[in-house]
Amino acid sequence: MKAEETPTDSLALAYGAITARLWLAVRAIQTGVEKFAGTAVSETAVQIDGQANSYGLTDAAASKSYALANYHGVPAALYEKFSTEPLMPAWGLKIYDKALGPLLLILGFTILLGVASRTSLFALGLLYTSLTWGLILLGEPGNSGVAWLAAHMILIVMALCLVRYDRFRILKKW
Amino acid sequence: MNPLPSPINRRNFLVRSAGAGLVLGAPAILRASETPSKTLNLALIGFGKQGKVLFEAMSNIPGIRFQAVCDIWDYNRQAGVAKCYARQKERPNHYVDVDEMLAKEKGLDAAIVATPDFWHAPHTIKCLEAGLHVYCEKMMAHTIEAARDMVRAMERTGKLCQIGHQRRSNPRYRYTLEQLILGHKICGQIVNINAQWNRAINSSQDIGYKENLAIKPEILQKYGFKDMHQFMNWRTYRDLSGGPISDLGAHQIDIFNWFLGTAPNAVFATGGNSHFKDREHFDNVMALFDYDTPQGQVRAFYQVLTTTSAGGGYFESFMGTEATIDISERSAYTNIYRESSAPSWDELVARGFLKKAAASAPAPADGGADAIKSYESAAPEVYQLPGDLNKPPHQPHLENFFAAVRGEAKLNCDARHAFESEAPIYWVNPSALQKERIVLTPEHLSV
Repeated sequence: MKAEETPTDSLALAYGAITARLWLAVRAIQTGVEKFAGTAVSETAVQIDGQANSYGLTDAAASKSYALANYHGVPAALYEKFSTEPLMPAWGLKIYDKALGPLLLILGFTILLGVASRTSLFALGLLYTSLTWGLILLGEPGNSGVAWLAAHMILIVMALCLVRYDRFRILKKW
Repeated sequence: MNPLPSPINRRNFLVRSAGAGLVLGAPAILRASETPSKTLNLALIGFGKQGKVLFEAMSNIPGIRFQAVCDIWDYNRQAGVAKCYARQKERPNHYVDVDEMLAKEKGLDAAIVATPDFWHAPHTIKCLEAGLHVYCEKMMAHTIEAARDMVRAMERTGKLCQIGHQRRSNPRYRYTLEQLILGHKICGQIVNINAQWNRAINSSQDIGYKENLAIKPEILQKYGFKDMHQFMNWRTYRDLSGGPISDLGAHQIDIFNWFLGTAPNAVFATGGNSHFKDREHFDNVMALFDYDTPQGQVRAFYQVLTTTSAGGGYFESFMGTEATIDISERSAYTNIYRESSAPSWDELVARGFLKKAAASAPAPADGGADAIKSYESAAPEVYQLPGDLNKPPHQPHLENFFAAVRGEAKLNCDARHAFESEAPIYWVNPSALQKERIVLTPEHLSV
């Protein structure tokens, strides 16, 4: 006797697609935004005995702020390490440093809005692959970063598999 | 802005402590005698990792112009030129050789020396003799004799020579010494010092390079490097540097001597190659210093580890009968602990001299199943400095140097006083190698 086929739960699959899409979009957008984060330190002189102190001590409060001037695609410490890697060309590192933040933001928004979801997810997968290559190149002990990126890749593959169930997309082509 | 009230002024303190040893706090050559041009023309000598740190710290200082960059590595030199151009929209002249630079460049006011340690003395002395004021990175030199030569050159030429112990200009350190330790005496009697720089093994690996960017062997040999690996990793070679106790420890042991106002009378050290077995220098060093101060004996323990980062990072801890001050260049490692028997600090907090830590949750002295009541001391309360430094850590020290060149300030760490503070550090490695305590005499510590 032929086994009865389970009917597809299209609503659950649609929710699954949207959830995966949202997660990946938020992850990419906020990571891109953080590339513009910096710390604004207080300029207010500490008052001692009612007077501004003469040492130059300022209020210790430092606040996080975002600005274009803060942009750092590849964190400085990693940039320094990459710059000595024989397999990493200097021009490539410069381009990657400039492009990483904007790429994360663009792909994050296209995935969030459902614009060319398949292509956007594939591009995000390529981007995470490039990050993975960088971590392997630096010989990160324990490879925890590589494992972390691998979890992202699994989510991307799942999101790609579920795309066709995703009803809420602006541009369904590609 | 008025200076803060100081129950013991600095001059009195220094005069008093001079009897106990060397005068470590006050600069000898105080300021430039002539006023140079309003904009100071600078030469950057050495644009490696530390040269870049200093450049970034100078990038917000007005009234300076980078006229020349000198580095034997084309990669560093071009980076220096590019960074200077980005800052001032004017390309500096660039040189491989310091002698050529000094011969060709006219109108230089000062040089910033950030070359490997064994080049500090030759470069500094050449610049001083060429009539420039010099800011030279610490450690002054790889040998004590070369450091002595730097002091003599400074005094012979009458030019300023600031050594890069940047904590000496850090407002947090100056405030802690002048207001909290000397002024309000919050530590009571300082009896012990404990300090460390624990650095992760990952941050201590050899520095690599690209073969296609390597310096030609003949240039390397001309400037004292046997190969590119040695050029990149000169800190691990005995002939070129003092190793971790010099690279990292010098900053902190300088604070011992500065805060106590005297030099130690003995050092006993131990060290070894626990992990980096092929390195000439020890990867881990521990040292004990004995001090006689006007207040009594002080023992100081210092460790530098290049294999482990745990244990609180890097800080200096001044442990007194009434309080302990943990201070670090990083405010995150800075805390002040009041012993339960010490006089109340409520008034100091009310006046703004200290802040009580917001989330002070010390372990209960008599609580917990693992506590044996008769063994326990009452937990100290935790306080913090009232403010912070809102600049890169090296910036105030460079600002002090430029102000001194303009005749507007006194150097906070001229070569003579830097030498008096650094001299004991030169005896750490010999003590560890010989496995012997070294009694430090004026012959060990003076120029």
